[in-house]
Amino acid sequence: MSTTAPELARAAARWLALLESGAATEGDHAGLQQWRDSNPQHEQIWQKAQLLRQRFTDLPPALAMASLDRPQPGRRTVLKRALGVAALVPAAWLISRQLPIDVWRADLHTATGERRQVPLADGSALQLNTATAVDVDLARSRLTLVDGEMALTVPGAGAMTVQTRYGQVIVSQGEVCVRQLSSNCLVSVLKGAVQVRDLRGQLVTLQGGRQARLQADGLGASTPFDVLQLDWREGVLTAQNQGLGDFLRELERYRPGVLRWDPSLEALRVTGSFQLADTERILSLLASTLALEVQSRTRYWVTLMPRKKLA
Amino acid sequence: MNDAALPTHDPRSGLHSLYRDHRSWLESWLRRRLGNAWDAADLSQDTFLRVLASAQPVAQLHEPRAYLVTVGKRLLANFHQRRSLEQAYLNALASLPEASVPSPEQRWLLLETLQALDELLDGLPPLVRRAFLWSQLDGLGYREIAERLQVSERTVKRYMAQAYEHCLLVDL
Repeated sequence: MSTTAPELARAAARWLALLESGAATEGDHAGLQQWRDSNPQHEQIWQKAQLLRQRFTDLPPALAMASLDRPQPGRRTVLKRALGVAALVPAAWLISRQLPIDVWRADLHTATGERRQVPLADGSALQLNTATAVDVDLARSRLTLVDGEMALTVPGAGAMTVQTRYGQVIVSQGEVCVRQLSSNCLVSVLKGAVQVRDLRGQLVTLQGGRQARLQADGLGASTPFDVLQLDWREGVLTAQNQGLGDFLRELERYRPGVLRWDPSLEALRVTGSFQLADTERILSLLASTLALEVQSRTRYWVTLMPRKKLA
Repeated sequence: MNDAALPTHDPRSGLHSLYRDHRSWLESWLRRRLGNAWDAADLSQDTFLRVLASAQPVAQLHEPRAYLVTVGKRLLANFHQRRSLEQAYLNALASLPEASVPSPEQRWLLLETLQALDELLDGLPPLVRRAFLWSQLDGLGYREIAERLQVSERTVKRYMAQAYEHCLLVDL
Protein backbone atom coordinates (compact mmCIF):
# COMPACT_ATOMS: atom_id res chain seq x y z
CA MET A 1 0.00 0.00 0.00
CA SER A 2 1.45 3.32 -0.89
CA THR A 3 0.46 6.66 0.53
CA THR A 4 0.96 10.10 -0.95
CA ALA A 5 3.59 12.43 0.50
CA PRO A 6 1.07 14.92 1.98
CA GLU A 7 -0.83 12.08 3.65
CA LEU A 8 2.36 10.68 5.12
CA ALA A 9 3.49 14.08 6.39
CA ARG A 10 0.11 14.75 7.93
CA ALA A 11 -0.06 11.41 9.70
CA ALA A 12 3.46 11.68 11.09
CA ALA A 13 2.82 15.29 12.16
CA ARG A 14 -0.28 14.23 14.10
CA TRP A 15 1.61 11.52 15.92
CA LEU A 16 4.39 13.93 16.82
CA ALA A 17 1.99 16.55 18.10
CA LEU A 18 0.15 13.96 20.19
CA LEU A 19 3.34 12.56 21.64
CA GLU A 20 4.71 15.93 22.61
CA SER A 21 1.44 17.06 24.12
CA GLY A 22 2.24 14.90 27.12
CA ALA A 23 -1.26 13.44 26.87
CA ALA A 24 -0.34 10.31 24.96
CA THR A 25 -1.56 7.14 26.63
CA GLU A 26 0.07 3.75 26.52
CA GLY A 27 -2.52 2.88 23.93
CA ASP A 28 -1.34 5.80 21.83
CA HIS A 29 2.24 4.61 22.05
CA ALA A 30 1.18 1.16 20.97
CA GLY A 31 -0.85 2.71 18.18
CA LEU A 32 2.15 4.67 16.99
CA GLN A 33 4.33 1.56 17.03
CA GLN A 34 1.72 -0.26 15.03
CA TRP A 35 1.49 2.58 12.54
CA ARG A 36 5.26 2.57 12.11
CA ASP A 37 5.40 -1.19 11.70
CA SER A 38 2.51 -1.39 9.29
CA ASN A 39 4.24 0.27 6.34
CA PRO A 40 7.92 0.97 5.53
CA GLN A 41 6.92 4.42 4.27
CA HIS A 42 5.51 5.20 7.71
CA GLU A 43 8.73 4.19 9.41
CA GLN A 44 10.70 6.18 6.85
CA ILE A 45 8.83 9.40 7.45
CA TRP A 46 8.98 8.79 11.18
CA GLN A 47 12.76 8.59 10.98
CA LYS A 48 12.78 11.75 8.89
CA ALA A 49 10.73 13.48 11.56
CA GLN A 50 13.23 12.42 14.21
CA LEU A 51 16.04 13.91 12.11
CA LEU A 52 14.04 17.10 11.81
CA ARG A 53 13.69 17.34 15.58
CA GLN A 54 17.39 16.61 15.98
CA ARG A 55 18.25 19.58 13.80
CA PHE A 56 16.60 21.84 16.34
CA THR A 57 17.88 20.01 19.41
CA ASP A 58 21.49 20.44 18.29
CA LEU A 59 21.25 24.23 18.25
CA PRO A 60 22.23 26.53 21.10
CA PRO A 61 18.71 27.57 22.10
CA ALA A 62 19.26 31.24 22.84
CA LEU A 63 21.12 32.04 19.64
CA ALA A 64 18.72 30.01 17.55
CA MET A 65 15.70 31.57 19.20
CA ALA A 66 17.00 35.11 18.75
CA SER A 67 17.66 34.40 15.07
CA LEU A 68 14.63 32.34 14.08
CA ASP A 69 12.05 34.10 16.22
CA ARG A 70 13.26 37.55 15.25
CA PRO A 71 10.69 40.22 14.62
CA GLN A 72 9.81 39.88 10.97
CA PRO A 73 11.25 42.59 8.71
CA GLY A 74 9.10 45.45 7.59
CA ARG A 75 7.45 45.73 10.96
CA ARG A 76 8.17 48.42 13.46
CA THR A 77 11.62 49.77 13.95
CA VAL A 78 15.20 48.74 14.39
CA LEU A 79 14.80 49.53 18.07
CA LYS A 80 12.18 46.88 18.49
CA ARG A 81 14.42 44.36 16.80
CA ALA A 82 17.30 45.17 19.11
CA LEU A 83 15.08 44.90 22.17
CA GLY A 84 13.65 41.62 20.97
CA VAL A 85 17.07 40.09 20.62
CA ALA A 86 18.32 41.29 23.96
CA ALA A 87 15.25 39.96 25.71
CA LEU A 88 15.52 36.60 24.03
CA VAL A 89 18.99 35.70 25.24
CA PRO A 90 18.32 33.97 28.55
CA ALA A 91 20.94 33.67 31.24
CA ALA A 92 21.23 29.90 30.98
CA TRP A 93 23.26 30.18 27.82
CA LEU A 94 25.62 32.67 29.40
CA ILE A 95 27.82 30.14 31.12
CA SER A 96 30.76 31.21 33.24
CA ARG A 97 30.70 34.83 32.31
CA GLN A 98 33.14 37.11 34.00
CA LEU A 99 32.11 40.44 35.30
CA PRO A 100 34.59 42.34 37.43
CA ILE A 101 32.64 44.15 40.05
CA ASP A 102 34.04 47.21 41.63
CA VAL A 103 30.88 48.13 43.43
CA TRP A 104 30.76 47.61 47.14
CA ARG A 105 27.29 46.20 47.37
CA ALA A 106 25.71 43.80 44.94
CA ASP A 107 23.18 41.03 44.80
CA LEU A 108 24.67 38.38 42.56
CA HIS A 109 22.93 35.35 41.23
CA THR A 110 23.28 32.59 38.69
CA ALA A 111 20.62 30.70 36.79
CA THR A 112 20.44 26.92 36.68
CA GLY A 113 23.42 25.67 34.70
CA GLU A 114 25.22 28.99 34.94
CA ARG A 115 28.50 29.63 36.71
CA ARG A 116 30.01 32.95 37.43
CA GLN A 117 33.35 34.22 38.59
CA VAL A 118 33.46 37.57 40.33
CA PRO A 119 36.70 39.26 41.36
CA LEU A 120 35.82 41.47 44.31
CA ALA A 121 37.21 44.94 44.83
CA ASP A 122 39.04 43.94 48.02
CA GLY A 123 41.16 41.36 46.16
CA SER A 124 39.08 38.30 47.06
CA ALA A 125 37.74 36.06 44.34
CA LEU A 126 34.20 34.80 44.47
CA GLN A 127 32.74 32.06 42.34
CA LEU A 128 29.06 31.18 42.13
CA ASN A 129 27.93 27.73 41.16
CA THR A 130 24.61 26.90 39.47
CA ALA A 131 21.39 28.40 40.87
CA THR A 132 23.12 30.49 43.49
CA ALA A 133 22.41 33.84 45.09
CA VAL A 134 24.97 35.83 47.08
CA ASP A 135 24.63 39.30 48.54
CA VAL A 136 27.87 41.25 48.70
CA ASP A 137 28.54 43.92 51.27
CA LEU A 138 32.22 44.81 51.13
CA ALA A 139 31.88 47.74 53.51
CA ARG A 140 31.16 45.18 56.24
CA SER A 141 33.41 42.50 54.66
CA ARG A 142 30.40 40.26 54.50
CA LEU A 143 28.95 37.90 51.91
CA THR A 144 25.56 36.34 52.45
CA LEU A 145 24.96 32.99 50.79
CA VAL A 146 21.24 33.12 50.20
CA ASP A 147 21.07 29.91 48.23
CA GLY A 148 23.25 27.53 46.24
CA GLU A 149 26.99 27.12 46.39
CA MET A 150 29.97 29.44 46.33
CA ALA A 151 33.74 29.31 46.44
CA LEU A 152 35.75 32.10 48.01
CA THR A 153 39.47 32.81 47.91
CA VAL A 154 40.76 35.41 50.34
CA PRO A 155 44.37 36.54 49.78
CA GLY A 156 44.86 37.69 53.35
CA ALA A 157 44.54 41.44 53.21
CA GLY A 158 41.51 41.26 55.48
CA ALA A 159 39.04 38.68 56.73
CA MET A 160 35.78 38.03 54.94
CA THR A 161 32.70 36.63 56.64
CA VAL A 162 30.27 34.37 54.82
CA GLN A 163 26.84 34.45 56.41
CA THR A 164 24.76 31.29 55.94
CA ARG A 165 21.42 30.15 57.26
CA TYR A 166 23.15 28.12 60.00
CA GLY A 167 25.98 30.39 61.05
CA GLN A 168 29.06 32.19 59.80
CA VAL A 169 32.28 31.15 58.12
CA ILE A 170 35.14 33.56 58.70
CA VAL A 171 38.00 33.38 56.21
CA SER A 172 41.11 35.43 56.93
CA GLN A 173 43.35 33.73 54.40
CA GLY A 174 42.56 30.71 52.34
CA GLU A 175 40.10 29.08 50.05
CA VAL A 176 36.73 27.68 51.03
CA CYS A 177 33.59 26.27 49.45
CA VAL A 178 30.22 26.75 51.08
CA ARG A 179 27.09 24.98 49.93
CA GLN A 180 23.66 25.69 51.30
CA LEU A 181 21.58 22.52 51.58
CA SER A 182 18.03 22.19 52.82
CA SER A 183 18.82 21.30 56.44
CA ASN A 184 22.49 22.21 56.78
CA CYS A 185 25.35 24.01 55.18
CA LEU A 186 28.41 22.15 53.94
CA VAL A 187 31.73 23.93 54.56
CA SER A 188 34.84 22.59 52.78
CA VAL A 189 38.24 24.16 53.35
CA LEU A 190 40.68 23.84 50.47
CA LYS A 191 43.52 25.99 51.73
CA GLY A 192 44.29 27.71 54.99
CA ALA A 193 41.95 27.40 57.92
CA VAL A 194 38.59 29.02 58.66
CA GLN A 195 36.68 29.92 61.77
CA VAL A 196 33.10 28.70 61.92
CA ARG A 197 30.62 30.34 64.27
CA ASP A 198 27.37 28.47 64.76
CA LEU A 199 24.02 29.98 65.65
CA ARG A 200 24.80 29.68 69.38
CA GLY A 201 27.98 31.70 69.00
CA GLN A 202 30.40 28.77 69.39
CA LEU A 203 33.61 29.30 67.43
CA VAL A 204 35.40 26.28 65.92
CA THR A 205 38.41 26.12 63.60
CA LEU A 206 38.16 23.99 60.48
CA GLN A 207 41.49 23.06 58.90
CA GLY A 208 42.40 22.78 55.22
CA GLY A 209 41.45 19.47 53.62
CA ARG A 210 38.51 18.99 56.02
CA GLN A 211 34.80 19.55 55.64
CA ALA A 212 31.93 19.68 58.10
CA ARG A 213 28.21 20.34 58.15
CA LEU A 214 26.97 23.44 59.89
CA GLN A 215 23.52 22.78 61.32
CA ALA A 216 21.04 24.43 63.62
CA ASP A 217 22.65 22.67 66.58
CA GLY A 218 26.23 23.56 65.66
CA LEU A 219 29.09 22.27 63.57
CA GLY A 220 29.14 18.51 62.97
CA ALA A 221 32.25 16.36 63.09
CA SER A 222 34.81 17.19 60.42
CA THR A 223 35.90 14.66 57.81
CA PRO A 224 38.51 14.68 55.08
CA PHE A 225 36.95 15.25 51.70
CA ASP A 226 37.60 14.45 48.10
CA VAL A 227 38.74 17.55 46.27
CA LEU A 228 37.15 16.14 43.09
CA GLN A 229 33.75 17.17 44.39
CA LEU A 230 34.81 20.79 43.97
CA ASP A 231 35.64 20.38 40.29
CA TRP A 232 32.57 22.45 39.44
CA ARG A 233 34.85 25.45 39.77
CA GLU A 234 36.49 24.29 36.55
CA GLY A 235 33.13 23.46 35.02
CA VAL A 236 33.61 19.74 35.46
CA LEU A 237 31.59 17.08 37.23
CA THR A 238 33.79 14.21 38.33
CA ALA A 239 32.71 10.79 39.53
CA GLN A 240 34.85 7.96 40.78
CA ASN A 241 32.93 4.74 40.97
CA GLN A 242 29.93 6.75 42.14
CA GLY A 243 26.40 5.36 42.28
CA LEU A 244 24.44 6.60 39.26
CA GLY A 245 21.62 7.83 41.51
CA ASP A 246 23.98 10.09 43.46
CA PHE A 247 25.62 11.22 40.25
CA LEU A 248 22.28 12.14 38.67
CA ARG A 249 21.11 13.98 41.78
CA GLU A 250 24.25 16.08 41.45
CA LEU A 251 23.79 16.52 37.70
CA GLU A 252 20.19 17.63 38.20
CA ARG A 253 21.38 20.80 39.90
CA TYR A 254 22.85 21.93 36.60
CA ARG A 255 19.89 21.15 34.37
CA PRO A 256 16.73 23.16 34.04
CA GLY A 257 13.66 21.01 33.75
CA VAL A 258 12.91 17.50 34.88
CA LEU A 259 15.36 14.62 34.95
CA ARG A 260 13.94 11.29 36.04
CA TRP A 261 15.35 7.82 36.09
CA ASP A 262 14.17 4.31 36.64
CA PRO A 263 14.96 3.16 40.21
CA SER A 264 16.74 0.09 38.83
CA LEU A 265 19.45 2.40 37.49
CA GLU A 266 20.24 3.84 40.91
CA ALA A 267 23.02 1.34 41.69
CA LEU A 268 24.94 1.46 38.38
CA ARG A 269 28.45 2.83 38.82
CA VAL A 270 29.84 5.91 37.08
CA THR A 271 33.45 6.96 36.63
CA GLY A 272 34.65 9.93 34.61
CA SER A 273 35.00 13.67 34.24
CA PHE A 274 32.15 15.43 32.49
CA GLN A 275 31.91 18.95 31.11
CA LEU A 276 29.04 20.69 32.84
CA ALA A 277 28.61 23.15 29.98
CA ASP A 278 26.84 20.43 28.00
CA THR A 279 24.66 18.27 30.18
CA GLU A 280 22.92 16.81 27.12
CA ARG A 281 26.24 15.36 26.17
CA ILE A 282 26.76 13.95 29.66
CA LEU A 283 23.48 12.10 29.31
CA SER A 284 24.39 10.69 25.93
CA LEU A 285 27.80 9.66 27.27
CA LEU A 286 26.06 7.81 30.09
CA ALA A 287 23.79 6.15 27.57
CA SER A 288 26.72 5.01 25.48
CA THR A 289 28.68 3.54 28.39
CA LEU A 290 25.96 2.18 30.67
CA ALA A 291 23.02 -0.07 29.93
CA LEU A 292 20.53 2.74 29.77
CA GLU A 293 18.74 4.86 27.23
CA VAL A 294 17.74 8.51 27.27
CA GLN A 295 14.15 9.25 26.46
CA SER A 296 13.62 12.94 25.98
CA ARG A 297 10.17 14.19 25.33
CA THR A 298 11.58 17.68 25.25
CA ARG A 299 14.91 19.13 26.22
CA TYR A 300 13.49 19.79 29.66
CA TRP A 301 11.77 16.51 30.23
CA VAL A 302 14.20 13.62 30.20
CA THR A 303 13.80 10.10 31.49
CA LEU A 304 16.54 7.48 31.76
CA MET A 305 15.41 3.89 31.33
CA PRO A 306 17.24 0.56 31.34
CA ARG A 307 18.18 -0.30 27.79
CA LYS A 308 15.76 -2.76 26.26
CA LYS A 309 17.22 -6.14 25.44
CA LEU A 310 17.25 -6.74 21.72
CA ALA A 311 14.78 -9.42 20.82
CA MET B 1 15.03 12.41 -30.87
CA ASN B 2 14.49 15.39 -33.07
CA ASP B 3 17.62 17.51 -33.03
CA ALA B 4 16.27 20.05 -35.42
CA ALA B 5 13.65 21.17 -32.94
CA LEU B 6 16.24 21.92 -30.27
CA PRO B 7 17.52 25.38 -31.14
CA THR B 8 14.18 27.13 -30.67
CA HIS B 9 13.37 25.19 -27.46
CA ASP B 10 16.79 25.06 -25.95
CA PRO B 11 16.33 27.13 -22.81
CA ARG B 12 19.94 28.31 -23.08
CA SER B 13 19.49 29.95 -26.45
CA GLY B 14 16.32 31.68 -25.25
CA LEU B 15 18.10 32.65 -22.11
CA HIS B 16 20.86 34.24 -24.10
CA SER B 17 18.54 36.75 -25.73
CA LEU B 18 16.57 37.21 -22.55
CA TYR B 19 19.79 38.01 -20.74
CA ARG B 20 21.04 40.32 -23.48
CA ASP B 21 17.77 42.23 -23.78
CA HIS B 22 16.72 42.53 -20.17
CA ARG B 23 19.69 42.13 -17.83
CA SER B 24 20.48 45.80 -17.37
CA TRP B 25 16.81 46.61 -17.01
CA LEU B 26 16.42 43.93 -14.31
CA GLU B 27 19.54 45.09 -12.54
CA SER B 28 18.33 48.65 -12.31
CA TRP B 29 14.93 47.38 -11.11
CA LEU B 30 16.68 45.43 -8.37
CA ARG B 31 19.05 48.28 -7.56
CA ARG B 32 16.13 50.59 -6.84
CA ARG B 33 14.87 48.06 -4.32
CA LEU B 34 18.15 47.08 -2.77
CA GLY B 35 19.86 50.45 -2.76
CA ASN B 36 23.21 49.11 -3.95
CA ALA B 37 24.66 47.89 -7.22
CA TRP B 38 26.59 44.81 -6.20
CA ASP B 39 23.73 43.04 -4.44
CA ALA B 40 21.57 43.94 -7.43
CA ALA B 41 24.11 42.40 -9.82
CA ASP B 42 24.26 39.22 -7.71
CA LEU B 43 20.53 38.92 -7.52
CA SER B 44 20.07 39.54 -11.21
CA GLN B 45 22.51 36.69 -11.93
CA ASP B 46 20.57 34.48 -9.53
CA THR B 47 17.35 35.42 -11.26
CA PHE B 48 18.66 34.31 -14.64
CA LEU B 49 20.04 31.12 -13.15
CA ARG B 50 16.65 30.44 -11.61
CA VAL B 51 15.00 30.97 -15.00
CA LEU B 52 17.51 28.64 -16.61
CA ALA B 53 16.79 25.97 -14.02
CA SER B 54 13.03 26.27 -14.32
CA ALA B 55 10.95 24.12 -16.59
CA GLN B 56 9.45 27.10 -18.34
CA PRO B 57 10.81 27.34 -21.93
CA VAL B 58 12.22 30.83 -22.09
CA ALA B 59 11.55 31.28 -25.82
CA GLN B 60 7.82 30.99 -25.19
CA LEU B 61 7.64 33.83 -22.71
CA HIS B 62 5.13 36.43 -23.80
CA GLU B 63 6.00 38.95 -21.16
CA PRO B 64 9.65 38.31 -20.32
CA ARG B 65 9.98 41.31 -18.02
CA ALA B 66 6.90 40.41 -16.01
CA TYR B 67 8.30 36.92 -15.64
CA LEU B 68 11.73 38.17 -14.58
CA VAL B 69 10.12 40.48 -12.04
CA THR B 70 8.13 37.59 -10.60
CA VAL B 71 11.26 35.52 -10.15
CA GLY B 72 13.23 38.56 -9.01
CA LYS B 73 10.64 39.43 -6.35
CA ARG B 74 10.84 35.94 -4.93
CA LEU B 75 14.63 36.12 -4.75
CA LEU B 76 14.41 39.60 -3.28
CA ALA B 77 12.14 38.39 -0.50
CA ASN B 78 14.51 35.50 0.08
CA PHE B 79 17.44 37.90 0.15
CA HIS B 80 15.78 40.12 2.76
CA GLN B 81 14.86 37.07 4.77
CA ARG B 82 18.46 35.89 4.86
CA ARG B 83 19.71 39.39 5.61
CA SER B 84 17.37 39.84 8.53
CA LEU B 85 18.27 36.42 9.91
CA GLU B 86 21.95 37.25 9.62
CA GLN B 87 21.39 40.56 11.37
CA ALA B 88 19.44 38.98 14.22
CA TYR B 89 22.09 36.31 14.54
CA LEU B 90 24.93 38.83 14.66
CA ASN B 91 23.07 40.90 17.24
CA ALA B 92 22.56 37.83 19.38
CA LEU B 93 26.22 36.89 19.05
CA ALA B 94 27.26 40.39 20.02
CA SER B 95 25.23 40.23 23.20
CA LEU B 96 26.91 37.00 24.30
CA PRO B 97 29.78 37.34 26.75
CA GLU B 98 33.09 36.73 25.05
CA ALA B 99 33.73 33.43 26.79
CA SER B 100 30.64 31.78 25.35
CA VAL B 101 30.88 33.04 21.78
CA PRO B 102 31.38 30.08 19.43
CA SER B 103 34.51 29.83 17.28
CA PRO B 104 34.41 31.47 13.81
CA GLU B 105 33.98 28.10 12.15
CA GLN B 106 31.12 27.15 14.45
CA ARG B 107 29.57 30.54 13.85
CA TRP B 108 29.39 29.93 10.11
CA LEU B 109 28.10 26.40 10.45
CA LEU B 110 25.49 27.63 12.83
CA LEU B 111 24.44 30.44 10.51
CA GLU B 112 24.09 28.00 7.63
CA THR B 113 21.97 25.67 9.71
CA LEU B 114 19.83 28.56 10.89
CA GLN B 115 19.33 29.78 7.32
CA ALA B 116 18.24 26.34 6.22
CA LEU B 117 15.79 26.09 9.11
CA ASP B 118 14.57 29.62 8.49
CA GLU B 119 13.74 28.68 4.93
CA LEU B 120 12.12 25.49 6.13
CA LEU B 121 9.84 27.42 8.48
CA ASP B 122 9.09 30.10 5.90
CA GLY B 123 5.41 30.35 5.12
CA LEU B 124 4.17 29.23 8.54
CA PRO B 125 1.79 31.65 10.25
CA PRO B 126 3.72 33.67 12.89
CA LEU B 127 1.99 32.13 15.91
CA VAL B 128 2.47 28.59 14.62
CA ARG B 129 6.10 29.30 13.98
CA ARG B 130 6.62 30.76 17.43
CA ALA B 131 4.84 27.90 19.19
CA PHE B 132 6.94 25.41 17.26
CA LEU B 133 10.20 27.20 18.11
CA TRP B 134 9.32 27.42 21.79
CA SER B 135 8.65 23.74 21.82
CA GLN B 136 11.69 22.65 19.80
CA LEU B 137 14.31 25.07 21.08
CA ASP B 138 13.23 25.86 24.61
CA GLY B 139 11.51 22.58 25.30
CA LEU B 140 8.37 24.34 26.52
CA GLY B 141 5.34 22.15 27.14
CA TYR B 142 2.03 22.71 25.37
CA ARG B 143 0.44 24.14 28.49
CA GLU B 144 3.11 26.77 28.90
CA ILE B 145 2.95 27.66 25.22
CA ALA B 146 -0.82 27.90 25.46
CA GLU B 147 -0.52 30.29 28.39
CA ARG B 148 2.04 32.44 26.67
CA LEU B 149 0.07 32.67 23.45
CA GLN B 150 -3.27 32.94 25.23
CA VAL B 151 -4.77 30.07 23.29
CA SER B 152 -6.02 26.63 24.30
CA GLU B 153 -3.78 23.58 24.56
CA ARG B 154 -5.80 22.03 21.75
CA THR B 155 -4.86 24.93 19.55
CA VAL B 156 -1.19 24.52 20.44
CA LYS B 157 -1.41 20.86 19.49
CA ARG B 158 -2.95 21.85 16.18
CA TYR B 159 -0.21 24.43 15.63
CA MET B 160 2.43 21.81 16.28
CA ALA B 161 0.87 19.33 13.88
CA GLN B 162 0.66 22.08 11.27
CA ALA B 163 4.31 23.01 11.73
CA TYR B 164 5.49 19.42 11.59
CA GLU B 165 3.42 18.74 8.50
CA HIS B 166 4.80 21.82 6.80
CA CYS B 167 8.42 20.93 7.61
CA LEU B 168 8.07 17.29 6.64
CA LEU B 169 6.51 18.22 3.33
CA VAL B 170 9.21 20.75 2.46
CA ASP B 171 11.84 18.32 3.56
CA LEU B 172 10.49 15.35 1.62
